[in-house]
Amino acid sequence: MSKPYFVSIFAEEEKLLAGIKAVKEKKVKIDEIYTPYPMHEVIEAMGQKSRFTFVAFLYGFSAAVAVLAFLYYTSVISWPINYGGKPTSAFPSFIIITLVLTIASITILSLFTFSIRAKIYPGKKYVLPDLRSTDDKFVMVFDSEKAGTGFDDLNKMLKDCGAEEVYTKEL
Amino acid sequence: MYKAEVRGPLILGNKDYSQITRDIIAPIDARAPIWWKVAMGISLMAAAWGMVALYMTVRYGLGTWAVNNSVAWGWEIINFVWWIGIGHAGTAFSIFLLILRQKWRTSINRAAEAMTVFAVMCAAIFPAIHMGRVWLAFYIFPYPNTRGSLWVNFNSPLFWDFIAISAYLLISASFWYFGMVPDFASIRDKAKSKVKKAVYGLLAFGWTGSSKEWLRYEGLSYILGGIAAVLVVSVHSIVSTDFASSVIPGWHTTLFPPYFVVGAIFSGFAMVMTLMIVIRKFYKLEQYVTDAHLNAIARILVFISLIMGSSYATEVFMAWYGGNEYEMFTFFHNRITGTYTFMFWAMITCNAVIPQLMWSKKVRNNITALFIISLVINVGMWYERYNIVVTSLAKDYLPSSWTLYSPTWVEIGIYIGTLGIFITGVLLFFRFIPMIAISEVKSVLKPTSITKYTKKH
Repeated sequence: MSKPYFVSIFAEEEKLLAGIKAVKEKKVKIDEIYTPYPMHEVIEAMGQKSRFTFVAFLYGFSAAVAVLAFLYYTSVISWPINYGGKPTSAFPSFIIITLVLTIASITILSLFTFSIRAKIYPGKKYVLPDLRSTDDKFVMVFDSEKAGTGFDDLNKMLKDCGAEEVYTKEL
Repeated sequence: MYKAEVRGPLILGNKDYSQITRDIIAPIDARAPIWWKVAMGISLMAAAWGMVALYMTVRYGLGTWAVNNSVAWGWEIINFVWWIGIGHAGTAFSIFLLILRQKWRTSINRAAEAMTVFAVMCAAIFPAIHMGRVWLAFYIFPYPNTRGSLWVNFNSPLFWDFIAISAYLLISASFWYFGMVPDFASIRDKAKSKVKKAVYGLLAFGWTGSSKEWLRYEGLSYILGGIAAVLVVSVHSIVSTDFASSVIPGWHTTLFPPYFVVGAIFSGFAMVMTLMIVIRKFYKLEQYVTDAHLNAIARILVFISLIMGSSYATEVFMAWYGGNEYEMFTFFHNRITGTYTFMFWAMITCNAVIPQLMWSKKVRNNITALFIISLVINVGMWYERYNIVVTSLAKDYLPSSWTLYSPTWVEIGIYIGTLGIFITGVLLFFRFIPMIAISEVKSVLKPTSITKYTKKH
């Protein structure tokens, strides 16, 4: 069910950052910020944190252990081959294939993780408050019920910071 | 404000964000130009010839090739290594520069990644057809098969190669595709026709550009970039061990892994330069792919060329210093002189001598000269692989087994076919995908341009 949101449009990143600072000082809750390119200041302002790299490390560690276990099983337990009296558990020659399979596993698992956590997948129904945010505008959106301020106050506050437009939209 | 004065502005002209989107997606909105249609026709014909040659190979077997008991590896392995080399440097370019926070990559990385994906696809054809019975290619998958619990040889560089190339194709294609998702969203939201909106909407995976999405997007980019950087080095090292772990003179050397990795980056950077010159010329994107970008690539090429020259000299020196008569024979009587001497000197001239012209600023600023040198390097890198493969095999330990090698039309046809597939892929990329990463270029617009923005500060 849709509900009203306050949508503010900025033409330049400095003005957006000024707007973020102003609403933070007044303890107005920002629902989301949409930008045409990644901005670390925006991610920090939204209090967003990601454990993606740690999770990727866990994927890699688990994959490396699994691959080594598999290689040990195939080369020592399932079908040991004696060539030139060399040891069947030839750890050094397992290293490269372990590295490559670990990288392949991290890739596949990270892609799935990204798709699930960022909710990016084919055929996804999305809500974009203002289409210009994928082109040249920086868009800050407030949930009218949770923002903690009214439209008029917010409008004045953001316009003072350089917002081009502030309007209400059902999303 | 930081103005990147050392490198010069990355984007010329008084651009704003919307202008960047319009400039880069203009070729997608416009009708295909005549040159594009002609080039597409020629490359499709080349690809068709390749298909005929592939059919002959599969239908009649490897007897259609000129490979024999001595020269068991011919054009196919040469072309495989050549393509995989080109493919490697594309991503190496994009990923190494990402990790090193080199912002000048933003105008070039998309095309470099596209080139990588098409080149690796071309490379993957060769090991498959080299099996002879390509329909049994699944034998190399490590599965407990119906003939008993017999496994593939996990200690073989040839198996490592298969896994490494598959992983590399996966990671480079993912890196490329997910890099394009925000740009597909830009096209979707600017599209006027319903079909275009629907197609690019599907490709954009519902991207909105929210802070949550950007956070994870950046995380994914750095994770894939970090592990792909390791993979780039390991894959071509593995390709080199296909050769170096044998006892063939000219191959059995510890120099091979770094020599192959650097060679791959060399040929890939050269191909990136070729492609970027074409893109900026035909699509009038000189303000995004500036002379400074080409200058930076040229300086890297000159540096790598020195490493290549040193590697060639090291090989010859070690053959002499090691005192092994077979190594001596291979280098001094079958490369520097002998039947295949042209290949050796062509390799030296194209890879170690001609690129030195780029020490001159005049040459670095001459786009035609850069274009020619980039093509010369790619030819030279092909000769390098010919030199390595054929000269070592044609005359090895037993003079009674010596055989000369020259390819059949089928082998040449397969190579021409892969060139056709590659160029077809690149032309489709020109037509339907933003050639420059829109969102990444926007992110470097303010800090690095001499525009209205920097003038204010």
